[in-house]
Amino acid sequence: MTKPFRLTEGGNRIDRSKRITFSFDGRDVTGFAGDTVASAVLASGQKLFGRSFKYHRPRGVVGLGSEEMNALIGVGADAQHEPNLRATQVEVFQGLVCVSQNRWPSLRYDIGATNSLVSRFLPAGFYYKTFKWPRAFWKHVYEPLIRRTAGLGKAAIGPDPDSYEHMHVHVDVLVIGGGLAGLVAAETAALAGAKVLLCDENSELGGIADLTAGMINGACVADWLAPLVVRLTDMPNVQLLKRTTAVGHFYHNYLMAHERVADHDPALLAAGAPRQRVWKIRAKHVILATGALERPLAFANNDRPNIMLACAARGLLTRYAVTPGMNGVVFTNNDDAYLTAFVLKKAGVNVQVVDSRARPDGDLVNQAQAQGIVVSLSSVISAVEGTSSVSAVKIASYRKGQGRVITERKVLCDFIAMSGGWNPVLHIWAHNGGKIKFDEALQSFRPDTHRDAITAVGAANGTMSVKDTIGEAHGAGEVAAKAVLKKAKAVKSAKLQVKEPKRGALEALWFAPATGQANEGGKHFIDFQNDVTVADLELAQREGYESVEHTKRYTTFGMATDQGKTSNLNGLGILAEATGKTIPEIGTTTFRPPYTPYSFGAIAGALTKELFLPVRRTSVFEWHIEKGAVWEPVGQWRRAYTYPKAGEDKTQSIAREVLAVRNSVGLLDASTLGKIEIKGPDAAAFLDRVYTNTFSTLKVGKCRYGLMLNELGFVMDDGVTARLADDHFVMHTTSGGADRIAAWLEEWLQTEWTDYKVFVTPVTEQWAQFALAGPKAREVLAKMEPDFDLDNEAFPHMSFKLGKLGGFPVRVYRISFSGELSYEIATPTGLGLSLWKALIDAGADIGIAPYGTEALHILRAEKGYIVVGDETDGTTTADDVGLGGMVSKKKADFIGKRSLEQSELTRRGRKQLVGLLTEEPNEVLPDGAHAVAAVHDKPPMKTIGHVTSSYLSPTLGRSIAMALIENGRARMGESISFSLEGGKVVKAQIVDHVFYDKDGGRIHA
Amino acid sequence: MLLITCPVCRAQGDETDFHCGGQAHIARPATTNPEGITDEEQSNYLFTRINPKGLQFERWRCDRGCGKWFNAARDTMTMEFKAFYGATELPPADVMKQAKGAWVDYFKSRMKTSK
Amino acid sequence: MLEPQHESALAHVGEPSDTYISIREILTRGMIDLRGQTADRKFMSVAKNVLGIDLPKQPRTSHSFGEVKALWLSPDQWLILCSHSKSAVLQAELASALKETHALAVDVSDMRSIIRLEGEGAREVLMKGGSLDFTDGALAPGYVRRMRFAEIAALVHIVEHNIIDLYVFRSYAQYAFDFLQKAARNGTQTGIK
Repeated sequence: MTKPFRLTEGGNRIDRSKRITFSFDGRDVTGFAGDTVASAVLASGQKLFGRSFKYHRPRGVVGLGSEEMNALIGVGADAQHEPNLRATQVEVFQGLVCVSQNRWPSLRYDIGATNSLVSRFLPAGFYYKTFKWPRAFWKHVYEPLIRRTAGLGKAAIGPDPDSYEHMHVHVDVLVIGGGLAGLVAAETAALAGAKVLLCDENSELGGIADLTAGMINGACVADWLAPLVVRLTDMPNVQLLKRTTAVGHFYHNYLMAHERVADHDPALLAAGAPRQRVWKIRAKHVILATGALERPLAFANNDRPNIMLACAARGLLTRYAVTPGMNGVVFTNNDDAYLTAFVLKKAGVNVQVVDSRARPDGDLVNQAQAQGIVVSLSSVISAVEGTSSVSAVKIASYRKGQGRVITERKVLCDFIAMSGGWNPVLHIWAHNGGKIKFDEALQSFRPDTHRDAITAVGAANGTMSVKDTIGEAHGAGEVAAKAVLKKAKAVKSAKLQVKEPKRGALEALWFAPATGQANEGGKHFIDFQNDVTVADLELAQREGYESVEHTKRYTTFGMATDQGKTSNLNGLGILAEATGKTIPEIGTTTFRPPYTPYSFGAIAGALTKELFLPVRRTSVFEWHIEKGAVWEPVGQWRRAYTYPKAGEDKTQSIAREVLAVRNSVGLLDASTLGKIEIKGPDAAAFLDRVYTNTFSTLKVGKCRYGLMLNELGFVMDDGVTARLADDHFVMHTTSGGADRIAAWLEEWLQTEWTDYKVFVTPVTEQWAQFALAGPKAREVLAKMEPDFDLDNEAFPHMSFKLGKLGGFPVRVYRISFSGELSYEIATPTGLGLSLWKALIDAGADIGIAPYGTEALHILRAEKGYIVVGDETDGTTTADDVGLGGMVSKKKADFIGKRSLEQSELTRRGRKQLVGLLTEEPNEVLPDGAHAVAAVHDKPPMKTIGHVTSSYLSPTLGRSIAMALIENGRARMGESISFSLEGGKVVKAQIVDHVFYDKDGGRIHA
Repeated sequence: MLLITCPVCRAQGDETDFHCGGQAHIARPATTNPEGITDEEQSNYLFTRINPKGLQFERWRCDRGCGKWFNAARDTMTMEFKAFYGATELPPADVMKQAKGAWVDYFKSRMKTSK
Repeated sequence: MLEPQHESALAHVGEPSDTYISIREILTRGMIDLRGQTADRKFMSVAKNVLGIDLPKQPRTSHSFGEVKALWLSPDQWLILCSHSKSAVLQAELASALKETHALAVDVSDMRSIIRLEGEGAREVLMKGGSLDFTDGALAPGYVRRMRFAEIAALVHIVEHNIIDLYVFRSYAQYAFDFLQKAARNGTQTGIK
């Protein structure tokens, strides 16, 4: 390639004094600061950017910005790689590394391109029709095959080293789009006093003002806008965000915008900037100034590299001084594309225009003819020659509605600029229920009504003239400010002299006829990214896919990463012609966020790694780490599971901890238990309503175990409640239930028993709480300088003391979840670590062992105590788990009482809690294993219940388990079978679920 | 992201600062008459919900704010909140008038009993 | 005698140096959770007698007198701030004075950790984790609000325009601190006005 694709002058975006070298597919490319990957690579003479999704056809740049569907590239190396970015938007910098996609082994020699040779056999729905059987092939043959061939870029491998963040912002007026309309609207709203945020997806504000015809007060549109941008930048109530795409609009004017903070500048990243930021915006009013996107035209082989949108060719020249070639054809059905012809001609590029209209009468058409540009009216491009670029076109005469080629002539050229008209960008408008309507003049949809405070202006509203856009934007800025401010300042609209060409009407052209087989539309591409052709859409119609939503899914039209930005309307045009309906009758598919894809990193924001999930720490957390604790996550808490000593495995350390509690003394960090203070004259009556058993009879200074049901009658939580005073209780809940139960109590007080005078204050985190358990617990406690009597009579089981241990203020509850003599000692959390260490010291000479949650669970299972969530699963009643005796018969009402009479809860044959002893004592049943009525060779087998807890009991020297078994209590002594994985069968005998110290003497010791 | 105003503390905030508690105005039979509840009444209380396309009356809690429960009238089609009102109150009269379907009968009976 | 050592949740964490605001733990504050009804005149007047200040009735406001502050939490709940060493005494005084009233005063000095954000960007850093509009002029010194911050529950108290105390439950202190440190890292300023 020797042609000078970069012109020697011009280019309003590039800085020729700064040369930039970057790597594209491993090749060094040199461009200028301000270039995009697209402009720099095109300037280097390369047209080919990628291979298409299905047929692997060679593809080049088509678009100007975010609508680009072909030139998708992967940017960044290794873990920083991001796929599927549009080369037209990626700004170059020194050292940038990027690659083309969907080709193997290389862009130029692509094996998948053989798909193109058999494209006649890959019609719409090919995958659905072909990969149906045999079923066994789905997983091992078809899916891997399809996944290898299809798909776009490759995901990065390895953890992302960059940081991301979110930012919340509230504004009076959010303006989306920083073109002419957006800037004028923003300034008006800001002058009226509103707090304004304007975001634009591009690196420069101004939209396509530099590609727009017309003069304002003697200046071209871009020059007129430049000082406006400066004024806005300086206003204290205006925030401008460049490189920021509004990706979605949600309920009540909540929007998400994605800012590419440092993607374009590694220096920013090095200075600590997040790579990307997601703005979560709540706007009182939204002004949509998202402009319009140009439509391609459907002609045979319209996807060849170097066939691009007219505005893209114009933009390449105007912004980057890059020309796609030296001999171009502009193919259009409207006036706007003539501007491209003018720009090309001015740059010295040979150009002619092919216009499908018979009698266009706009100023621009006349101007073209006056400039001596060859214009072929009533003509279309009927064929394109060349494969990896364009070498010639055939131009055929055409009359509106004509379906075949009558005469054609060949014209040599090296690029095509096409324009099928402009589509207002309605995505944000339509994300959240905005209605749209078809506009005959535009041959496109434009905004209709919206339930949120949102106004579309300028091209986004279908308003294409400069003068009308300014007026509309000014009005919208004013209306928005008035709507959101108590007192909006009046903003005078400046007197403007706007001169712009009179436009002739556009004429719809959905299909340019071609010769021979090509006229079937198999090479007339509609959705370039998903390789959907006119023929595919017509086939879908013939096969009965009447709804546009079905056609979309069957053909995948509009489903790629560009979500049909350029293809949707053209597809609707084809469907309309194929069915004889109008486009509004066909209707549109749903617009869904995001407008352009954005990275998972940005979506996650700061909440990754150590911030992914909050971890709750008790006051003893660091000590647990020092002692080598293995963690168990309990909700968001980290609890010590066990403390293996050097040379111990977990089974051994757990056994040691259990035996220490049984034979000597252990210490457990139970700080995570929920603690709730409940006070008021009706506190006791209230507790009688939330627990199944009675608390009004509890004596001050005593504790009672309580069981809570939900309104369905199922067990919900349990714990010990202590009575501090007549009207004052402290309730303990499960660790997982702490927040939920506090909210539950509040809910009943606020919404049902509103006359109860009760205050509920959760105090879980005020107290560090430790269980000192084992026959020698009293001995240790005695060393802690208690200011209260530890004697069994003065301080019996199920009572508590408020007092001091040395200098520690404490609440000591004599309660037990291990079946041993046990004290739960609570002290303010700040003193927790200090008290813990003092207890460990006090017990050192009698071998006190810190024990973790697994030892705790074994200890309680040996005693047959239930754990809510293990023995119960949300469909388990108190009677099911053998606690029917705790359900008061006397109380008229408590939560869940009435449901206990419902037939499901009283029916015979419910599962009941039992103990299990396996025939082989060392065999530990897996948690959740199902007991079966009869063992068969293979499932299904009728299940009669399941294991809820299962352990190797160090105390008993054998395995134990608890299970919920149908009619379990009536089956004592029966042997039942568990059918496990791999055909293994384990037999176990049903026994009482209390395995140790059945008379409970030890807790009273 | 819904924008919600707590009628108790007047704080306005994102949906994530609040917690939705499902349909409002469900009377709990056991509170008033624990002895005389039929199985059907209990089952209706537990499981039968009004779920209209359009105006719904529902419970919310100012979860991260003042902690109080309140009621809201929300159009399930447009997501527009027509009113926020107290947990034990009926909706404002003009909003009650807009109710359709099963809500009409419900509010009629409530107005009768309150007279 | 056994001498208790008080240790805060962030005792082992140093003040970060690579942030654009200062982030540090406040250690010396005692807190009392006080419940009673705003409409209960007797309660309000007894509380005033003990504390020396009226409990604020207006949502999201606070009153202060010397080192004692009362932060509005709900129509029947306030957070009373005092020095850490005085909380037990003040709680006892409140409990005893309110004996004949429907009220509940609980010493919760150890339940929350307080992280002070100080500097020009303090409000911006909070807006990275919560949906509240800290650029709103109504959020002036004295303003109090409970909110969702990052993934946890938090309470903010605006002390001065650029000094804001963030209260989080103690077990989440490390998480909140880590989040703030990341959100306030130098170079991450959003440029918001």
